[in-house]
Amino acid sequence: MPKQELDGEELFNLALSIVGLILKEGPHQVDELVEHFGYSEKTIRRAVSTIANSEDVGNFKTHFYLDDDLLESGEVDFSSAGSVLTAPPVLSKRQATSLAAGLDYLASLPQFANNPELTKIREAIGGATSAVHSRAKPSREAALLEQLQQAVLGEVAIECDYVNQLGERATRRIDPLRIDFVLDKHYLRGFCHKNQAVRSFRLDRILNCSITADPISADSKAAEIPEEVFGTLAQEISVKISADPEAAEIFWNFPSYSEIVIRDGKLTGEIMVGSLKALGRHITRYGGLVRVLEPEAAVIAVRNFAKAALKPQLTPSNED
Amino acid sequence: MAKQSPAQRLFTLTCCLLAAPRLGLSKQDIFDSVQAYAESSSDAREKMFERDKTSLREMGVALEVIEIEAFDDARSHRYLISKGSFDWPMDLSLSATQLQLLELAARAWNNRLMSPSAQSGLTRLKALGVVPSNRELAIFTPRLIAKHQSFEPLAIAISEQQQVRFSYRKPDAEAQARQLDPQKLRFIEGQWVLLAIENNELKNFLLRRIVSEVKPTGESAKQASAAEISAAEADLTGFIESQEAVLELQPESEAWWHFGAPDSAQIKIHFMDEALLAEDLMEFGGEIRVLSPESLAARIESGLKKVVSDHA
Repeated sequence: MPKQELDGEELFNLALSIVGLILKEGPHQVDELVEHFGYSEKTIRRAVSTIANSEDVGNFKTHFYLDDDLLESGEVDFSSAGSVLTAPPVLSKRQATSLAAGLDYLASLPQFANNPELTKIREAIGGATSAVHSRAKPSREAALLEQLQQAVLGEVAIECDYVNQLGERATRRIDPLRIDFVLDKHYLRGFCHKNQAVRSFRLDRILNCSITADPISADSKAAEIPEEVFGTLAQEISVKISADPEAAEIFWNFPSYSEIVIRDGKLTGEIMVGSLKALGRHITRYGGLVRVLEPEAAVIAVRNFAKAALKPQLTPSNED
Repeated sequence: MAKQSPAQRLFTLTCCLLAAPRLGLSKQDIFDSVQAYAESSSDAREKMFERDKTSLREMGVALEVIEIEAFDDARSHRYLISKGSFDWPMDLSLSATQLQLLELAARAWNNRLMSPSAQSGLTRLKALGVVPSNRELAIFTPRLIAKHQSFEPLAIAISEQQQVRFSYRKPDAEAQARQLDPQKLRFIEGQWVLLAIENNELKNFLLRRIVSEVKPTGESAKQASAAEISAAEADLTGFIESQEAVLELQPESEAWWHFGAPDSAQIKIHFMDEALLAEDLMEFGGEIRVLSPESLAARIESGLKKVVSDHA
């Protein structure tokens, strides 16, 4: 729930919305408004006071009569004293655009694909009629998402094999807490029993997942989940890189504490990585748009990965 | 009477304008009616009123100014709110699931411009009614990240209907100056895509390929109709469906798991942009072989060779 103080425009917006709701549905408890709008009681009361203090001082006209006694006892009710205002304005272009883009984003996720409620609301808010393409993410991920959703809601641990970014496979026991979708990847955020810490697990690297009957611990439930999926690295190596503007995203895919300098049309700065072996794939994917400048060990790691990728490891399909 | 807060001032202004007669209110009528203006100095209330007009318009309130010569000069400019800006579709209501989806959509934004807009839009939609909460979707936290420098100027230009110019570089080509009318930003296959009118045609531009600042030209942007935008979006979906790559995956490899552990080592996938797909596949090194199209296989080989030579 956002608890922050609202600025004048946001408070005005909330006041308009409360007017619309109360005139449509009748009185509501302050607690209900707190729950429904997701703002603190103090903010809701400030919004209600905005509605009450809207007198036309030139013509001695009151727009809304607020029942102060009821408000004292925790209920919001007011009547329209001839005000024409009965609902908030329809969504502004920017409000509609930002919500529509968010809904489009949801529609591209496997767990919401073909969700009829989402289709309806996309049509109503953004006028969207077309399907959103999501690259053939197969049913395995959708099935795994369903399994994880069940475990998170049931508050029970899971057991699975997990392949880390170095390609090492190990069995893990995880107390699942939340599922994040960042850019185009899903992550399970959960308390890892092996590491005794909250970690992020990419869904496409979780194999053979099973739900246990063991409830997750109270410590797991209370654990703070870091905002960034990459979390804190145990051993950080600083790597200086140079990137074309088209690959600027590399600087926000890794923790970076350095200033990014633009020189000769390229972005130069440092990223923090946990493993040079894993760095190779992240740099190589840009096919030359990103270059490692130092340390030399990182340069070698990238070269080795790209060289190995050039050698076919697959068996030619026409071989006996 | 206590001094009015900015929110109270905006609210009173809105109520007074909505209650105005058909010919609207003069500025003096407004200054007399809204307590905060009435109690301020002439300069201060002029400044406040200018700010408030901008705020109302940004919040989607269609504030109009008309000139009626029948009034004397001081009262000839009349202010009113177009009633249409408060007319919600009669049948619009939200189910618990729809509200939860809107919450997720608003919460997904991780951007200083779009996140407040999405939140305030959601607050406004909540005026439609209280619905029971639905916890099932609460475990998901999708996050829309929009860190491209071009994102905010484009979002503002779309909102203000301004034409823009920028430099755009396609793969294997020189950067070109483009001047266009932005319509919509969409997130597709992990990429932000701008839909814009250029030379009377709706086209898609990847934000990552904008290699200069985005600047307004000072001209108003042409606006495509909702039907034209829907048709352009459907065209892009159709284009993606027509672009097919055939890949061979090394069984039990990370690539194989990533693509859903298919029964067959060969899979077909659809894609929006060959260069972007090449990036996604190069990350798996030698675990994937591209069987078709040849251009994709050649692009990957050339990209890998470039990485080797850059790191020699």
